[in-house]
Amino acid sequence: MTREKFAAVCRKLSSRDNHALTEKLLSAVKTHRAKHNTPKLSVVWIETNDSGDNNISFMNTTFPYLGRVFAEMIDLLYSNTFMAAQGTKALAVLERAAAMQYGPFTLVVEGAIPVKDDGLYCAVARTQDRYITAFEAVTRFGKLAEHVVAVGTCASFGGPSAARPNITGSVGLSKVLPRKIINVSGCPVNPDWFVGTLAHLLMYGRPELDRFNRPALFYGFTVHRHCQRRSYFDKKDFADKLGDIECMFSKGCMGPKTGADCPYRQWVDHVNWPVKANTPCIGCTNEDFPDGSSPFFTSLSVKSPEHE
Amino acid sequence: MKTQRIIFSPVTRLSGLLSVEVTVEKNRVKEAYAGSTMFRGYEWIMRDRHVTDAVYMTQRVCGICSLAHGAVSSYLLDDLYDNDIPENAHYLRNIMFAADFLQNHIRHFYLFSLPDYVRMPDRPPFHEQDITDVRLVEKDNRLLVEHYFAAVKAAQRSHEILAVFGGKAPHQHSFVHGGAAVSPTADKVNRALALIDSINRFIKDCMIPDTALIARVYNDYFHIGITPRRLLSFGLFRFGAKNDRVLWKGGVLSDDKLDPPEVKLIETDVTRSWFEDANVNNLTGRQPEPAPYKPDAYTWVKSVLYGGRHFEVGPLARMIINRRYDGGTSTMDRICARSLETMLIGELLENWLTKLEPGPPPIKQKTSPVKSEAVAVTDSMRGALLHSALLNGERVVGYEIITPTEWNFSPKDRQGRRGPVENALVDTAIPRPKMLFTVLGRIIRSFDPCLSCATHIINVKS
Ligand code: SF4
Repeated sequence: MTREKFAAVCRKLSSRDNHALTEKLLSAVKTHRAKHNTPKLSVVWIETNDSGDNNISFMNTTFPYLGRVFAEMIDLLYSNTFMAAQGTKALAVLERAAAMQYGPFTLVVEGAIPVKDDGLYCAVARTQDRYITAFEAVTRFGKLAEHVVAVGTCASFGGPSAARPNITGSVGLSKVLPRKIINVSGCPVNPDWFVGTLAHLLMYGRPELDRFNRPALFYGFTVHRHCQRRSYFDKKDFADKLGDIECMFSKGCMGPKTGADCPYRQWVDHVNWPVKANTPCIGCTNEDFPDGSSPFFTSLSVKSPEHE
Repeated sequence: MKTQRIIFSPVTRLSGLLSVEVTVEKNRVKEAYAGSTMFRGYEWIMRDRHVTDAVYMTQRVCGICSLAHGAVSSYLLDDLYDNDIPENAHYLRNIMFAADFLQNHIRHFYLFSLPDYVRMPDRPPFHEQDITDVRLVEKDNRLLVEHYFAAVKAAQRSHEILAVFGGKAPHQHSFVHGGAAVSPTADKVNRALALIDSINRFIKDCMIPDTALIARVYNDYFHIGITPRRLLSFGLFRFGAKNDRVLWKGGVLSDDKLDPPEVKLIETDVTRSWFEDANVNNLTGRQPEPAPYKPDAYTWVKSVLYGGRHFEVGPLARMIINRRYDGGTSTMDRICARSLETMLIGELLENWLTKLEPGPPPIKQKTSPVKSEAVAVTDSMRGALLHSALLNGERVVGYEIITPTEWNFSPKDRQGRRGPVENALVDTAIPRPKMLFTVLGRIIRSFDPCLSCATHIINVKS
C-alpha cells in the first residue's frame, strides 16, 4: 500500500463502508514488512501522570485486536501495564533499551509530566536509593528515541492532570522535551488513532502533522463538520435537554472547535460516540481540555464567546 | 541472619505506578511499605467548577474503572438535585456499570494476574518474565496462554456494550444525573444481547475453569497473603426512584459481626503520606497540602480508617458480606471471589437487558440543587467508593473522593498499624530468595491495584 493510499483509507469518510481503519492495517503492514524486510516497531511505553485510560482504550483495538498488534506490528519492550517482567528485571529492560541493545525505538509517553517540586508528584520507579521521576525518565528516553509519541491529552497538552489549579505543575511532553513530538490526543485516545499512527511510523515514518502536532489524518477536520446533527445546527434547531435528538450546541457541544473524526470513526469497534448518545462532545482532543470545555453543559457561545 | 531491605519497583501489570519496599529476615517478610508514586490532586481540580461537570471530570480519575466514578457522582448529583430516577434508567445504568465490571475483572485476571502463574511466550511484552515457580503442565499452560488472547476480545466486547449505551469507553457519556441520556432501542439491546452471550460463554467456558485450575495447582496461596477478617462494602447496583434500593447490600464485617456502614465513622490519617500533618477533617476546611519532601512518608495514598481500624474492600469483601462466598481472606480467595463475581454480574447484565423497555431516553434532570452538600457511596470494581461535595449554588466549594485503593493500600497510621495489603505481605515465607518478587507480585495483584485511582487527597466530613 502506498503512503497516499494509506492516507486515503484513514481519511475515508464514507458511512456506507465499514468504518474500521485498523481492519485494513494489518494486511498492509504485513505486506510492507515482508516486502521491505522491516522489523516490528520497537516501543518503550512510559506511563506518567494520567488515569491509565489510554492503555485501556488501546486494549479496545479491533481488527487488529491487541494480540495481533503485539504479534505483528510492535515489540512492546517496556510497559508498566502489559509487560510480564517486574521489579528489577523490568528496569533492566529499560536500561537495555537505553543502551540501544534492541536497536532504535519509539518512545510512547502516556500522561502529563509534573515539574513542580523536582517532579516528585510522579515517579515511574524507585531504586534502592532514589525515585526515578517522570521528568527524568521522559527527558532521558526522549533524547534517545527515534520517534516520540504522546498518547492521550495529558501527555499531549497536560490535559486533566494539568487542569486548574494544577498544583503539581503538570505539563504536556512538548514542554519538557525540545524535539518533534507526535501528539495523539484524546481523553482517552481512540485506538484507531493510536494504532494508525504506529502503523504509519512503521511503514512510512512520521505522518503529516497539524498545527498541534497531531496526525492530520485523524484530527484534520472538526467534529462539527461531519456531525450527523449538522442539519439541525444549520436550522438552529437545538436540544432543550440531554437525551434530545437535536443539535447539542445548546448543551455545551464542543464539536465546532474540536479536531477529531468521532462522527464517522466512532468508538469501541465503531459503535457509538457522545453526540449519538444524546450528549455533547466535550472536546477531549483539544489543547485546552478540560478547562476550555468547562462547564461542560454550558453553550460554547457562553463559555467561550469568541467561538460564537 | 541480617535483615535485608529490598525495593520491588516497578510493580508492573496494574493501573498506575506502585513501588513496594520490604524487609526480609530469615526468609520471611518482616515489614512492608506499599508506595503509590503518583499524585494529581482531583479534589483541587474539582473546586470552583460547575457541579454537573463532576460526572465527566471524575471519570478521568481512573481509566480502568471510570464508570464507577461516573456512577457515584451521578448518585451524588441525583441527591443534590432531588432527581427521580425512572426504572428503565436503572436498568440502563446498571447494564453499563456491569459491562465495565466485566471489562475490569476479565482484564485483571488475564492480562495482569495470569502472567504470575503461567509461562508466557518469550516475546515482547512478555519477555524477561521472572517467574520462578511455574507448576502448570505444558498442555494447560498452552491453553491459558490462548485464553489470554481470547480474554482480550471478551474484555473489548464488554466495553463495546458500555459504548453501545454510553457513547464511548472509557469515560462514557450517557450515565449522568437524572437517568441515562441514550434511548434503549431494540437494535442496541439486540447488539448487546449478542455481545453478552459471547462474553458469558467465555466466562463460563474459560474464566471459571481457568480460575479453578490455578486455584488447584497453586492451592498453597489459600494460606498466603492473608488479611485480618475486617471487610467493608458500600453495596452495589442501585434501584428505586431515589437510588435507595441496593441489590447487593453493603456492610461492615468485623469480629464476625455485620453492621451497615456509617459514613461518619470514616477518617483519614496522613502520618506516613506525602501531605503536611494537618488536623482538618471537614469539607469546608483547608485540606492538607501535598508535602513531597516530608521525611518518613512513603506514599501518595492516605490511610483510611473505619471506627479507628483498617478494612479490606473489593470483590472478596462484597461476596463474603452478601454470603455468596464463604472462604477465607487469602490471595487465592481474592482471585476466586473476583472470578465468581464476574460470572454473577454477567448473568445479571443479560437479565437486565431483557427487562429493558425499548423507548425514549429515560432521563429527567432537575435544574437547580435543593441541597448544598451530599455524600454518595457505591462499590466499584475494587471496592468501596465515596464521593462528597459541598456547593455554593451550583459551584463546587469542596469535593472529596475516597477510592478502594486507599482502603487496601493504606500506609501505616499514626499508631503504626498496617493496612490490608501491607498486612497481607508481612510474615510471608519466601522459600528461595529468587522467588521474592514472584510471591510478592501474586499477593499484591490479588488486590487488583489501581494507583491512578488513589492520586488525590481525601478529607471526609467527620
Ligand atoms: S451536535 Fe455538536 S458537533 Fe453536532 S452539529 Fe451540533 S454543535 Fe456541531
